[in-house]
Amino acid sequence: MAEVTLTGITKRYGNDVALNDVTMTVPDGSFVVLLGPTGAGKTTTLRMVSGLDTPDLGTVTIGGRDMAGLMPAQRDVAMVFQQYSLYPHLTVRQNLEFPLKSPILKTSQKEIDRKVGEVGEMLQISHKLDNKATALSGGEMQRVSIGRALVRDPAVFLMDEPLSSLDAKLRADLRVELKSIQADSGATLLYVTHDQIEAMTMATHVGVLDKGRLVQFGPPREIYEQPVSIYAASRLGQPRINVLPAEVFGGAPEGARTIGLRPEQIRQGDGEESRVERVERLGDQTRLHLRFKSHDIVTVTDAHTELKPGDRVKIRPEKPFYFDASGARLA
Amino acid sequence: MTDTSIDKLARATPKTVARRIKGLSDRGIAWLFVAPTIFLLLAVNIFPLIWTIRLSFTDFRVNRPNRDVEWVGLRNYERILTDPDIWATMQATAHFLFWTIVFQVLIGFFLAFLINKKFKGNDLWTTIIVFPMMLSPAVVGNFWTFLYQPQIGLFNYVVAFFTGVDPASFSMIGSVNLAPWAIVIADTWMWSPFVMLICLAGLRSIPDSIYEAAECDRASKWRQFWTITVPMVLPFLMLAVLFRGIENFKMFDLVVQLTGGGPGNTTTLTSIDLKREAFERWRTGYSSAYAVILFVTVFGLASIYVKALNKVKER
Repeated sequence: MAEVTLTGITKRYGNDVALNDVTMTVPDGSFVVLLGPTGAGKTTTLRMVSGLDTPDLGTVTIGGRDMAGLMPAQRDVAMVFQQYSLYPHLTVRQNLEFPLKSPILKTSQKEIDRKVGEVGEMLQISHKLDNKATALSGGEMQRVSIGRALVRDPAVFLMDEPLSSLDAKLRADLRVELKSIQADSGATLLYVTHDQIEAMTMATHVGVLDKGRLVQFGPPREIYEQPVSIYAASRLGQPRINVLPAEVFGGAPEGARTIGLRPEQIRQGDGEESRVERVERLGDQTRLHLRFKSHDIVTVTDAHTELKPGDRVKIRPEKPFYFDASGARLA
Repeated sequence: MTDTSIDKLARATPKTVARRIKGLSDRGIAWLFVAPTIFLLLAVNIFPLIWTIRLSFTDFRVNRPNRDVEWVGLRNYERILTDPDIWATMQATAHFLFWTIVFQVLIGFFLAFLINKKFKGNDLWTTIIVFPMMLSPAVVGNFWTFLYQPQIGLFNYVVAFFTGVDPASFSMIGSVNLAPWAIVIADTWMWSPFVMLICLAGLRSIPDSIYEAAECDRASKWRQFWTITVPMVLPFLMLAVLFRGIENFKMFDLVVQLTGGGPGNTTTLTSIDLKREAFERWRTGYSSAYAVILFVTVFGLASIYVKALNKVKER
């Protein structure tokens, strides 16, 4: 296990800047989730660390060692690919054994069998071990591809949206499983996703990427409570943060262009009046879609609320975020 | 769903045609459409096959149509299978078939492997490499006779350049020992690009990410080649071998043009021999039996092979 640092990483593909001066430290034993929409540079970051691509500028170190010029094999990284990348002519077992059969490792067959059995058990694919890799469903393939990384004990795990094609229940199971594997083994894990629930539940640190720039890096709680910009604020939290012109409520500080309100920053019961447009009952919570001075607001209310469309609710901001014209948060 | 284009088409059909079609069931219409093809197939494929099999039991000669045809039973087959000359042509064919396939697979795969690397101008190179394939076999045969010419031939010159032997001291076409190799070399020159193209399709079908995964799994290039590249290209390669095998079993034009089957009978492949029996000696019944034997051989080998190919594909 090792610490991973990226310093001033810049990568261009033709005229597209995939990564722009990204600097971050993935502490030893941490679970870092990179968050951002498609094209933000998440996968490129993983490829820089894995050595599948080399940065135009900047350095990557793993465990204090400069990785410049080193091949993926020399970096001791295990990667889970979004498109599974299983070896199609091999069975599930052979796929899982593949990394262990590297001559660098010299693992005994007994040890290989034990590890493959263990990982198969964990990922619920034991009964499929002797199937062809191509004869699996998408979710099974993805589990095999996760398993292929987990059989190893690398310096760092790199995972590119490993849970994206699983069904909701399995995804929830594996979220817990991955988190506990990481916590138990103390592995360093760099994980790419656009699913904020994965980020919130598993990460020790979240890196928010926007068009190749790392805009914020820190514990998920911190990013949720102290976002640096509208962009970072809207990565986390469900329902999403409401962004309105700053002057609708009054009391905005100097230079504020917009006000950001998470559901818990909207106090119900006093303040100014809004109209209930829609009531979404999700069971454990109920979402209110409000119309306020020709702006739409989504917030959360008591699960057993009596409110119906057309009702009036008074709302007032409580410790809201203010953002300036560029979208940056005002302290 | 009521106004699909098929409905529109049906309404647009002229009344008279519609009335005529009305009496036909779907099955009837289906038969109507396939009938011309089936007729053609029967006329030019199935009927001649059956007729050949029938003739193979007789002593019919097509240049003496008025002579009484005698039923000779299996005598034609017996004579062919016990004829040492025919076994020699079979051997020549096997030699040709085996070595052309070996060389074309090795060279074709190697070229595909090189061309598949991303470098500047590889499209141009592909076109250049594929060029021999586009020529007529007769033309290729003809100009290889020049290349093999002992005094002025480029081939002899190149061999001489690398080995130091006198270029005029050997003749690829005139020598009993060299002639079988002369046809192998010419055919390999012409058809390796074909194997390359098919292998290239195979290589291009392997996603980069599989190699990247192997790279992260610390597999050496050597191991990647044997555990990813070869198994994934194998079905394509086997298909190329099937095509080349069937083609070369029937090889005629290139070899006739190049060596004419000589010297002696050293490059007389079965199809050349068969043509002589049928259209020079006019032993129609006998050559029919010969053709049936060849047909059964190539059909048998091909079906065994296709079975193996399907097994590989399933893996």
